[in-house]
Amino acid sequence: MVQITINEKQIEVPEGTTVLGAAKMAGIHIPTLCAHKELSSFGGCRLCIVEVKGFRVPMASCTLPASNGMVVETNTEAIKKSREFILSMLFSERNHFCPFCQVSGGDCELQNAAYHEEMTHWPIQPGWSDFTVDTSHPYFILDNNRCILCRRCVRACAELAGNFTLALAERGTASMVVADTNVPLGESTCIKCGSCVQVCPTGALIDRNSAYQGHVKDMDEIKSVCVGCSVGCSTRIMVRNNRIVRIEGDWEGAVNHGVLCERGRYDAVTETRKRITTPQIRKNGKLEPVSWDEALGIVADKFRPLASNKNGVAALASTRLSAESLNVFKELFADKFQSDMVTSLEEGVPTASVTSFAGKNGAFEGKLDVLRNADTVMCIGANVNHSHMVVGFLFKRNLPKGTRLINISPEPNELDYLANITLNPKPKSDLALIKGLQAIIVKEGLGRSPLTISNADALIKQAVKATGASLEDLTRTAQMLAHSISPVILFGKGITAQRDENLVEELHRLAVLVGAVDGERFGLLSVKGESNSLAATLLGLDAAFNLNGHQAVYVALGDDYASKSLVERVSKAPYLVVQASYESSLTEKADVILPVSIWAEQEGHYMNLDGRTQKAEKALTPPENVRDNLTVLSEVAQQMNLKMETNWQKAVLERKSSVALN
Amino acid sequence: MTKPKVSSDWMCGCAGCHMSLLDMDERILKVLELVELRATPITDMKEPDESGVDVGILEGGINNTASEEVAHRMRNRSKILVALGDCAVFGGVPAMRNFCGAQAALQLAYVDADSNEPGSQIPNDPELATMTKTRAVHEVVPVDFNVPGCPPEADVIFYVLAELAQGRKPELKDELLHWH
Repeated sequence: MVQITINEKQIEVPEGTTVLGAAKMAGIHIPTLCAHKELSSFGGCRLCIVEVKGFRVPMASCTLPASNGMVVETNTEAIKKSREFILSMLFSERNHFCPFCQVSGGDCELQNAAYHEEMTHWPIQPGWSDFTVDTSHPYFILDNNRCILCRRCVRACAELAGNFTLALAERGTASMVVADTNVPLGESTCIKCGSCVQVCPTGALIDRNSAYQGHVKDMDEIKSVCVGCSVGCSTRIMVRNNRIVRIEGDWEGAVNHGVLCERGRYDAVTETRKRITTPQIRKNGKLEPVSWDEALGIVADKFRPLASNKNGVAALASTRLSAESLNVFKELFADKFQSDMVTSLEEGVPTASVTSFAGKNGAFEGKLDVLRNADTVMCIGANVNHSHMVVGFLFKRNLPKGTRLINISPEPNELDYLANITLNPKPKSDLALIKGLQAIIVKEGLGRSPLTISNADALIKQAVKATGASLEDLTRTAQMLAHSISPVILFGKGITAQRDENLVEELHRLAVLVGAVDGERFGLLSVKGESNSLAATLLGLDAAFNLNGHQAVYVALGDDYASKSLVERVSKAPYLVVQASYESSLTEKADVILPVSIWAEQEGHYMNLDGRTQKAEKALTPPENVRDNLTVLSEVAQQMNLKMETNWQKAVLERKSSVALN
Repeated sequence: MTKPKVSSDWMCGCAGCHMSLLDMDERILKVLELVELRATPITDMKEPDESGVDVGILEGGINNTASEEVAHRMRNRSKILVALGDCAVFGGVPAMRNFCGAQAALQLAYVDADSNEPGSQIPNDPELATMTKTRAVHEVVPVDFNVPGCPPEADVIFYVLAELAQGRKPELKDELLHWH
């Protein structure tokens, strides 16, 4: 600990704390622009200057470590004057005329800083140089004229998203934010996560969808959880007049610490599907609007004779539904109706094999945080730069610090350009590959578990043959894993879709062999699928879907998409009830449509890929005649005089989870 | 005690700041109790008194030789000069032409823009003032008080006038300080 005095206030702070950090702890406000709590200290804007006793010139407090006995003044007349001068210089550099800027009036940190210094004008007028505006990106505009070169976007791109797309070109006043080698943003390696826009303190990065739609003060902010995939990022949903203006990452979020991906940030605001706003039933081959009572009555009449019949009603639910809804769904169709075909739209593809392995082994998967400290990540059958982007952020951001990436996928994917080793094994050769890697490690005596393999040479030979990879590449991969101190093996649908518990077991064996899984450390995890993949599998909703003489099909689609193969399979059913928010090729085939709320119009719990239970909040009021998913499932049960009794928190404990729950 | 004399004029602006002045509604009567309003764009006198006024107010930036003249005249005849609104304080929206130059702006406005009749020309009457770079008032003459805002709210203008009329220095901060 070090003792430091700031504005005559004495405080003790841990060693390594910056003066800015110390002031924050002491409740003393120092104006900043380039500093951001999730980004490394940069010291570029100089707004945070302070006077330090014994120092010749003012110091940037964001990069100055507090040291014992330091005496700091943050608000002397000289400092105030310097701050105003620094702001004048920033304003004079480019086009910072406020009246027509969309962040002006509360959302601009530069303008707010000037107000804080009570500046009524700029003592230095601008230099009138013109900079480029890049409008090639689908979600945002980069206007270099509004840029103050704080490099928050550049740092966010590298340090948060780990994508390294944004950089600064040229020098001095000609400096410009550019993508890659100065190509248009829309044609760059940008993965469209929008983190740069969220951190921009001025109007240099403009969100296309929410620009000029009001300031933060005009909006309601609802803290919630993204239901875009199994990661479970914390969000701040910005709502105005019952419409989502934009979605931002919550800096306090336990999983994501502020970042989001394209899906989480933009899907909701670019949604174009048509809502269903009234119940409909098929009369004389045509769907016609009816009342809720009529629609529910018809469903009940149809289902009543089919209850207690294992091939009565086959039922499918989206894993985007809340745990509450999935539990009622499961109790209604599996327990009460005793149907033998009750599953999720994902059919357990991302989860069935891990949960079945957990049945014997207990929890074997680690937490997402293990990725933050991994020195080697082996990504197998998981394109996390696409499917679970934020998972990728957690280790991609460490690549410049020396973290190595091994990317294994039958097809080339978006992670390849960052990977140290890329393997494209032939499809379905994973088991041979994993056993081959084990064999190489054991043969070379690099293993950290007592595993012995008698036929190592044969297995290695088999791996080369099955995968089509060279022995050299396999050896390099095995050695990189085995020589790591904190390796993590990350796997996805490429592995789990094979529904082979043995494959998971061998992967686990490999993880133990290289020390990824070792005592308290669990460096093995699967990315799973949609937001409630884990809850669905724990409720037993993970069987492959098959129609086998079933008399009716109930699809609780919610706001999910219906895949082509699903539509093909369920349309063979004699009777189809669809509970859905949007019109789709599935609802076209339905005999009854029950319109339901979308994710933002209902609340509920979600279990993310590493076992964390979080609540998504209601942010919008649904259209008048639309009911939420849980209500509709409960009403179907009620119509049939069935009482739903189970509690979802207990129900998800009936099966062993592959990951510790919290 | 005689009431302080106040005069105003506008240059390269949109008249919005004067509209905002009128927006103070019945409070304008209170202002008139405190000050004697002399030449303004909304009164009959054309120029501030040669004998001088206590407070001169300028709206708009300075973009040609004519507005330079207005600015110098107001400065010379006022004890206290107030720059009112973003154009007077910063240059404002008209200053955007500085990024391309006056000639390019004229070319676009009078010739190249689709809304022009074919064969249109840039006006070239010798009596027209000569265009210059658009400048904030303080770039041309010394300013005593800058009152930003696009436009400054009526409350802000009322506060500034009331303070000046009563011999106090207006201090713009918190709710009264806006550049937009």
